[in-house]
Amino acid sequence: MKSSAGTPFSVKLGIFAASLGLFIVVWEVAALSAGNSLIIVGPVPVLQALISLLQNHLPGGTLGIQGADDAILQTLATILFGFILACAVGIPVGLVMGRWKKAEMLIDPWLSAAYSIPIVILIPMLYFAIGADFFAEVFVTFLITVSTIIVNTHHGVKYVSNALAEVGKSYGASERQFMAKIILPASMPDIISGMRIGMGRAILAAVLAEVLLSGNGLGGMMMTFQDVLDTPYMMAVVLLIALMGIAVLQLPKLLERRLFRWREMESLSRGIGR
Amino acid sequence: MRESFARFAVLAGTLLVFAAVWWVIAAAVNNPREIVGPVQTGTAFVRLFTDPPLTRLLASGLQVTITSILLGFALAVVVGVPVGVLMGRYLVVDLFCDPWVNIWYSIPAIAFVPLAMNWTGVSATSSVIIAFLITVFTVIINVYSGVRNVSGSLVDCGMAYGATQTQVMTKIILPATLPNIMVGLRLGISRAIEGVIIAEMVFTVVGLGGVMDDAADNLQLALSGALIIVLAIVSLAFAEVVKHMTTRAVAWKESQAMVRE
Repeated sequence: MKSSAGTPFSVKLGIFAASLGLFIVVWEVAALSAGNSLIIVGPVPVLQALISLLQNHLPGGTLGIQGADDAILQTLATILFGFILACAVGIPVGLVMGRWKKAEMLIDPWLSAAYSIPIVILIPMLYFAIGADFFAEVFVTFLITVSTIIVNTHHGVKYVSNALAEVGKSYGASERQFMAKIILPASMPDIISGMRIGMGRAILAAVLAEVLLSGNGLGGMMMTFQDVLDTPYMMAVVLLIALMGIAVLQLPKLLERRLFRWREMESLSRGIGR
Repeated sequence: MRESFARFAVLAGTLLVFAAVWWVIAAAVNNPREIVGPVQTGTAFVRLFTDPPLTRLLASGLQVTITSILLGFALAVVVGVPVGVLMGRYLVVDLFCDPWVNIWYSIPAIAFVPLAMNWTGVSATSSVIIAFLITVFTVIINVYSGVRNVSGSLVDCGMAYGATQTQVMTKIILPATLPNIMVGLRLGISRAIEGVIIAEMVFTVVGLGGVMDDAADNLQLALSGALIIVLAIVSLAFAEVVKHMTTRAVAWKESQAMVRE
């Protein structure tokens, strides 16, 4: 098979620039042929709207909503708090499940239910139980992210090579050493893949919670512009959410690179997503 | 046998514990506008199938939701598999598409909702578009990485025996990629379901997700809970059917795989 690894960077960059150009042309042509700003607008108005949003100018007709800087901060905070909470709960639960069979048997039905049923359907009901404030949104983000973290951690611990475990046992490692020095490092690639996939889930959850619950943050802003039929601003917020998602997704990748500089990236686990 | 019995016992126990905890919380809160207990929800669930107006609502909602999921998923497979194969096989296509696939893959489903609303309004068509957009990149990524990992010696062998491009594609690459295609389908169906449900919850007037959200808005929490159970059963059924199909399709491959504990 041909590999992209041997291709010079300049060629890659050139082809990417060409595909970016093609994308912009297709977008512009679609906007021109639709000819209706209620359906789609071209890249220029969207960029103008994005710039004015970032300068904290809001268009008329949208009184009473947050400025873009507050909205971005709030969404980011929801994503990060929910994600960190999910890691703080999910990694220990996954470790315990992978280590002790009884725990696995007890927790597994909950986990497979949480994993095969789209948890997002609970959000409208949760509103009545937990309200629509910042903590409610963090909780929703946690709820949607945590099963991904647990499943991947569990998978990593479960398939730690027996050879490693035997060595630890025969050299008389205590339970604590066994967990900290053998199980945790050996399952780290899977834990990190779980974090990578979980971060994607956290972004979805946070924005969805904003749309369905509070109407604040970037999600709320997006739907406000949709409601007042301001397509350029609506598409600018969509673009902003996409860019923010891509940026936040780099965090687990950075962690991965720091922890596994010694390892070939390709050999890492791809993780279990939904 | 013993093992499966133990598993069944744990499952039944889990359900009981769940219902009990739910019942205790509902009784403690004791406010039907915050949380309804399992008994009322169960009653509402039964009413969904016995009360004619509710049954009609359920049937029409169910029909729209299931059709949207199937259409979005089918479109994503029809588009995603060829694109993934081409990306894996031809370097130019790979370099051209790879950044875009990764970028679009990282966009959360909810961001597509207002765009689709602009294109086709608050309708089932929009749900299909959202399900398609959220599923297709998952399919592409899995098919692509499968094709990339086809062992070079298989292809070389085919070439040495004078296979044409078409033969290499259909007799070597596709069969060798089948397990990854199936993983893509399995992940894809749950994303398609989630996409449709998210779209319907935001639209509030389309499909079963819409009926559920609408019921919650009107404070009919028991009805809303019963519909959540229906949606959960639908998602489980879809996931099981696809899992069954994909396991059958790659049974020959798994029989050659290493034996795991």
